[in-house]
Amino acid sequence: MSRSSRAVITLPKTAKRGEVFEIRAIVQHEMESGFRHTEQGVRVARDIIREFVCTYNGKEVFRSELHPGIGSNPLFIFYAKAEQSGSLEFKWTGDDNYLTIVKHTITVL
Amino acid sequence: MNQRRIFITSLTALSLSPWQSASATPSEAMQAMQRIVGNRPVNTGRIYFDLPPLVENGNLVAIKIAVQSPMTQNDYVKAIHVIAEANPLPNVVSCYFTPLSGKAEVSTRIRLADSQKVWALAQMSDDSFWRTSVDTVVTLSACTEMI
Repeated sequence: MSRSSRAVITLPKTAKRGEVFEIRAIVQHEMESGFRHTEQGVRVARDIIREFVCTYNGKEVFRSELHPGIGSNPLFIFYAKAEQSGSLEFKWTGDDNYLTIVKHTITVL
Repeated sequence: MNQRRIFITSLTALSLSPWQSASATPSEAMQAMQRIVGNRPVNTGRIYFDLPPLVENGNLVAIKIAVQSPMTQNDYVKAIHVIAEANPLPNVVSCYFTPLSGKAEVSTRIRLADSQKVWALAQMSDDSFWRTSVDTVVTLSACTEMI
């Protein structure tokens, strides 16, 4: 069983052909760095999201490799070029079978 | 030993030792960059790197990186890497773009363990590398505190 969490994507519903539009993708995750210790001196195991990929009609638009230096609830603001109406898929994968997939559609005028 | 003495010694043992070992050095950051670049030359500039010069809370630092590029099939920005000199792990994030991105710009939120120099390294589609750095002062550091 994979773990999942809440993700919120902000992107326009429609875009003109050739327009570059902004995408905001935020996901709920502790991003436990693996460098913290409890008061008893026990190291807290690393538990982070390792990769975030955004694809647009199956083609990769943006990909990110995350390390413990990314803050909790990772946010990425990036851009995509409107070519055809279709769907955008956002996928986060991480430690301990973490997997969150969100899909959005966009209409290109 | 009284309770207070025990408390203080345990604090020193627990908090200071992992603290000191858990920080990278500028040379480790350079090695991290070397692993990405290989033996190709690195130019300075071309990158817009927005990082506050004074950070109050290192747990969540908003950064923005942009590289001027036409983003066509033949000329686009392949990747942007962020490397922090004094974080426990120098690699912070690597972002990869395609011509479909339309714009080589990304904003995210990172952790900074200490006052330090942070590098942004960009790889173009012709495999040339560009880098820029920002110095920042962090008043409350992230990553290594006890919970």
